[in-house]
Amino acid sequence: MAADILLPMHITSFLERTLRRRSFLRAAGATAASSALLLAGCGSDDDPTPTNTTASLTFSSNDNGLLNFAYLLEQIEATFYQKVVDAFPSDFTAEDKAAFIDLRDHEVIHREFLKFALGSNAYDRSLPGAIIFNFSSFTLTTRAGVYAAARTLEDLGVAAYNGAAKRIADAGYLALLSKLSSVEARHAAFVREQAQPGSFAGPDVISATDGLDVVKTPTEVAASLVSIVPLTLVVDGLTNLS
Amino acid sequence: MNFLHLLARLATLDTEHTALTQAPRRAALSRLGQAGTALLPALLAGLATPAQAGQKEVRTRLDALKLILKLENLQNAFYSRALGLLPGGPANPATFFGSAATRDAIQTIQSQQQKHAALYGQLITNAGSALDASPNYDFTGSRNGTQPAVYPDVYTNPDTFLKVAQLLKDASVQTYKGQAAFLQSDNYLLETTVRAHSTEARHAAHIRTLRRQRGATVKSWVSATDTAITTAGSPQHAVYTTETNINQYVSLSGLVTRVPFDSTLPINVGTPALSASALLAKVAEAFDEPIESVTAESILQVFTY
Repeated sequence: MAADILLPMHITSFLERTLRRRSFLRAAGATAASSALLLAGCGSDDDPTPTNTTASLTFSSNDNGLLNFAYLLEQIEATFYQKVVDAFPSDFTAEDKAAFIDLRDHEVIHREFLKFALGSNAYDRSLPGAIIFNFSSFTLTTRAGVYAAARTLEDLGVAAYNGAAKRIADAGYLALLSKLSSVEARHAAFVREQAQPGSFAGPDVISATDGLDVVKTPTEVAASLVSIVPLTLVVDGLTNLS
Repeated sequence: MNFLHLLARLATLDTEHTALTQAPRRAALSRLGQAGTALLPALLAGLATPAQAGQKEVRTRLDALKLILKLENLQNAFYSRALGLLPGGPANPATFFGSAATRDAIQTIQSQQQKHAALYGQLITNAGSALDASPNYDFTGSRNGTQPAVYPDVYTNPDTFLKVAQLLKDASVQTYKGQAAFLQSDNYLLETTVRAHSTEARHAAHIRTLRRQRGATVKSWVSATDTAITTAGSPQHAVYTTETNINQYVSLSGLVTRVPFDSTLPINVGTPALSASALLAKVAEAFDEPIESVTAESILQVFTY
C-alpha cells in the first residue's frame, strides 16, 4: 500500500473515465490502474469517509516506458524547484535564488521536452489532472534543508539516467537522454557543494574503486520515490530491459 | 525504412568516413574492433537527428575506448602535474591553488581521473588489444616550444590552470557523450561509459564553481552568459560553438520533428517572464551537446606533441 488517498466525491466521474482508458494507457507506454487516482485540484475540504486505496502507475517494458519514467522524474524535479522558487527560505542569498531559478527553468525545459517527445504516449495525457507530489519528507524552509533535498533529487536523477542508458533501445533516444543526464550531474555537483563543501564528487556517489558515478535500476529509483509519489510505481518491466 | 534505402545510406556513410574505418584498426583482432557493431545505432541516430552531423561517424567500440583513454590519460597528467605528482607542474604545488579546499577538490578530481584511466586501459587490454604509446604533453599549448604558447602561465597562475581545466572537462563531457553512441551494443561498456561521463560532468561543474568563486563570470552549467575562454578559429573554440544549440529533434509518428522550444512549448514559467533570447539561452543550458571524435582529437592535439 503506497498511499492512502482521500477521494472527494466529485472526482468519481473523472475516475470512471480514467479507468475506461486503462487499455489505451497500457498501449501508450504507461498504465494508470487503480481503484483511485490522486488528482490535481482535489482541494475540497469535504471529508468523505476515508477509504484506503492503492493507485498504481505501470510503466511498459520499452523505450516509451523509459521515457515516461524520465518524464515523471523531471516532473518531480520541476515541481520541487518551483515550490522552492515560490517561497525561498529566508536565509537564501541572491546567488542561491538565481541558481534555483536556473535549476527550475532547466527542469521545466527537460519536462516539456520529454512530454513533447512522448507525444500521445505521455503517461498523463489521459489522466484528469497532474499527480500531486509530496515533499513533506524534506525541510524546505531553510537553505540547508533545500540544498539537502536538491542533492537527494539530483543524485537520484543522475543514477536513474545512468541506469536507463543500457535499457534504451533507440540510439537517438540514448543520445538525447545523455544530453540531459550530464546537466543533471552538473546540477548535482553544484547543490552537493552548497549542501556540504568538498562533496561535489563524494564517495557516496562516485565509486572509490573505479571512479564511476552512481547507477540505479528503475526498481531502485522507484523505491526512492515512495515518499514523494502517491502512486505505486510498477517498473519491473523497465528494470528487466537490457 | 525501405531496405534498399538503408543499404544506400550505409554505402554513403562508408564513403564519407573511410578515414575512420581503416583496415589496420580492425587488425586488433578484438571483438571490440568490429566496425559493424557501431554502424547501425550510429546510422539510426544520424537519420533521427539530421542536424547532428557527428552522429554519422562510424567507429568501432575499440576506437571509442581508445579515444576515451587518451582523454583520461591527458587529464590525469594535467592534474598530476598540478599536484606535484608528476614533474612539469607548479614550482610549489602545495601553495599553487591558494586554498586547501581548491587543492582538495583537484585531488579528488585527479584521483577519479586516474581510476578512469586505469579502468579504460584495462578494458582495452582485456579485450586483447595493445595500448597506444603515451604521447608527450605540454599544457601551455606550445607543443614543446614549437609554436607560441596558448596558456603560458598554466602552472604559475591558478586562474589559467582552472580555465584550461574547464575547457578539458567540458570537452570531456562532450567526448564521452559522442563515444557512448558507439558502445550501445555492449551493455557493460555503455553503462561504464555513461557513469564515467556523469562523473566528468560533476567535475566540470565544480571547476566552474571554483572559477566563479574566484571572480569569473561562469555558471556551473554551460551558459551563453559565461565569459568566453576560447577564441574563434582555435580548435578549443569548438567546445563552445555547439553549446548554444537550441534545436533538438525527436521522432513523432515516424516524422523527424524539431522540438518547438521557441514557440509552443510552455517553458516560460518565471515571473516576470523571460525575453525570447533569455529563454532560449536557458534551453541551451539545459542540454549538453556531444562533439565528434575528430573535434575531440583536435582539442587533445593542442596539449600533445
